[in-house]
Amino acid sequence: MEFAIISTLNGVTYGLLLFMVSAGLTLIFGMMGVLNFAHASFYMMGAYVAYAVSSVFGFWVGILVAPIVVGLAGMAVERFLLPRVHAHGHAHELLLTFGLALIIEELIKIFFGDFPVNYQMPAELRFSAFEVFGATYPFYRLFIGAVAVVMFAALWVLLTRTRTGIVVRAAERLPAMAEALGHNIPIVFMFVFGTGAALAGLAGAVAGAFYPTNPNMALELGVIVFVVVVVGGLGSLKGSLLASLMIGLFSSFAVGLDWSLANLLGVVGLGDWARSVGGLLTLELSSISATIPFALMLIVLLVRPAGLMGERN
Amino acid sequence: MKRLAMIAATSAAALTASPLHAEPLKIGIIESLSGAQTSTGRLYANAVKYGVDRINEAGGFNGEPVVVTEYDNAGGAPDAADKFRNAVADGVDIIFQGASSAIAGQLTEDVRKHNLRNPGDEVIFINLGGEAMELTGEKCQFYHFRYTTTAPMRVNALVGAMKESGDLGTKVYSINQNYSWGQDMQAAAAAAAADGGYTVVDEVLHDVNKIQDFAPFVARISSAAPDTVFTGNWSNDLLLLMKAAGDAGLDVTFATAFLDQPGNIANAGKTAIGHYIANNYDNAATDGKFAEDYKTATGHYPIFVEGHSAFALGALQQALGTVDFGGGDIDVTKIALALENTTYETPLGPVSVRKEDHQTIRPVVVSKVVENPKYPADETNMGFETVKVIAGEDAIYPVQDSCKMERPAE
Repeated sequence: MEFAIISTLNGVTYGLLLFMVSAGLTLIFGMMGVLNFAHASFYMMGAYVAYAVSSVFGFWVGILVAPIVVGLAGMAVERFLLPRVHAHGHAHELLLTFGLALIIEELIKIFFGDFPVNYQMPAELRFSAFEVFGATYPFYRLFIGAVAVVMFAALWVLLTRTRTGIVVRAAERLPAMAEALGHNIPIVFMFVFGTGAALAGLAGAVAGAFYPTNPNMALELGVIVFVVVVVGGLGSLKGSLLASLMIGLFSSFAVGLDWSLANLLGVVGLGDWARSVGGLLTLELSSISATIPFALMLIVLLVRPAGLMGERN
Repeated sequence: MKRLAMIAATSAAALTASPLHAEPLKIGIIESLSGAQTSTGRLYANAVKYGVDRINEAGGFNGEPVVVTEYDNAGGAPDAADKFRNAVADGVDIIFQGASSAIAGQLTEDVRKHNLRNPGDEVIFINLGGEAMELTGEKCQFYHFRYTTTAPMRVNALVGAMKESGDLGTKVYSINQNYSWGQDMQAAAAAAAADGGYTVVDEVLHDVNKIQDFAPFVARISSAAPDTVFTGNWSNDLLLLMKAAGDAGLDVTFATAFLDQPGNIANAGKTAIGHYIANNYDNAATDGKFAEDYKTATGHYPIFVEGHSAFALGALQQALGTVDFGGGDIDVTKIALALENTTYETPLGPVSVRKEDHQTIRPVVVSKVVENPKYPADETNMGFETVKVIAGEDAIYPVQDSCKMERPAE
């Protein structure tokens, strides 16, 4: 019971962090069809901007400024770089953003150095929220989760309940018709891209103070964020939330479980044989916990190629 | 006939006369200078350059300054293999590398094959940081020299020093990365249990630098209620583990191998205090003379791997002093033989090469994180205080049976 409760808590908060980073990515893909490889770099940029700003003006100013700066950077990318390759199709957009990711990483190293920077949460947030079975639970984890939940709610309301949301969705479905009705489609797309980048920037500013802010953070989270988006269904906000939570929970539970194929075979009396063979058969689930999201992606793609909540193939 | 003799005589004279320019000794650094491990790779390269500058200040070698070239392996073994071919084409005699055992494994094999195929044109590989046991085990070879510790040296030093100071306890948890180095650490922690008087309550291996959230691992450690946690984790895996442990209020002592990696102390904050590390070198364990020299030359005190890497160059300088090619061709095998016979005095004690497997016999420093140390880390008020320096002969472990080294004909 203790194990289940702690693992659930850890899994849900980590899942919400993953959602926070992937929300912008799925928004950009869903609305514009651009698969943005530099998305995790925006996340990293957010953490570094927040670090730089917060060291002068304090933590909360950093959290506010980071998404704005990153959002503007995103808009610049959409305005000046993407249109040049748009005519050549998805592969070129992918390559452009991939190159951008590499450039951002090396730029960060030039300005901030190769080592992790000392970006810390403020002292007033550094306390334990409650105690579970003798271990304290840091309040900041709940804070990250809360930011993610607010982000989801705000996006959902914006897209489905407001006039802006109608225009954006119209621009995605029937750009020519929306344009004919007097809406400036390039500007709409620029703002969508900027919002997506800003969300990643906010995620970086919030999470960078909890996990270390270093030049590798984009690389570390980049792959897993793509897994989230693919599992959830490209472009589906609800799918991303569901996939993030699943990945968080699965990874969290896997760590505590010493299951191996040998144990399974032990049920039918082949346990000793399996242990003598070794290799794959004695590999414990906990030692491959970081692989579980990829296994999940494989299964989802086999069963539902469009992802859990994806609409199109 | 007379003319023929004249030609023969002049060409013989031309051949034996010393050339205008002697052959310089060429050193290649094949290091992770871009990509995820840049931070570590850059430090190795710094230290090698510092050491080469010392050699050149003392007049170089073979009548010429030693030439040093950097090759970026981008953190991967395939790129390292490519860069090794570049280096060979450039005429490099000695290569240095430190970040990652996987790359060291690739390079030592490449060097071995190159030397088999090109007798008389050998290359030496000086390994500054690849700690996998197999490099001086199954893969051991004459032209590979390891100028760093291995897992048993670090773990035995930690166990000895922590037991003496009463911080070890009787229950030990072992958490490591799931590859050669982590497995070596786990095996070493288990092997030292009898000597240390502890039981290993649980051990876990996890993916290497892929995990963002260590809270589940900390929950698992917490339920085993250990006194000390042994970990060979480095980079993010160590930092995230310690942060997660601090956030959960886990009351354990960490016994680590890479806590001095830049950024760790600052990021971990007060959580870091009281934890242990065993490594090759620490400024606080010396009289500070070398540290000041290094600072004068490079602008900062030696950090992380810089100290022990500079000593490898010191040993090389000493070995070069015992060979003389008179400005002619450089015989790399002679340098390797000289290196075998070199005992270099570091500020912590002598470092010598064990001829059977080319592992260096070297002192190990055990330190503890304290407030207001002599050399603060990461611009904080925390840093390392020396607990004990274990002499080389006490830290060393027996030669592995798997090492079958073929020596060159002498």
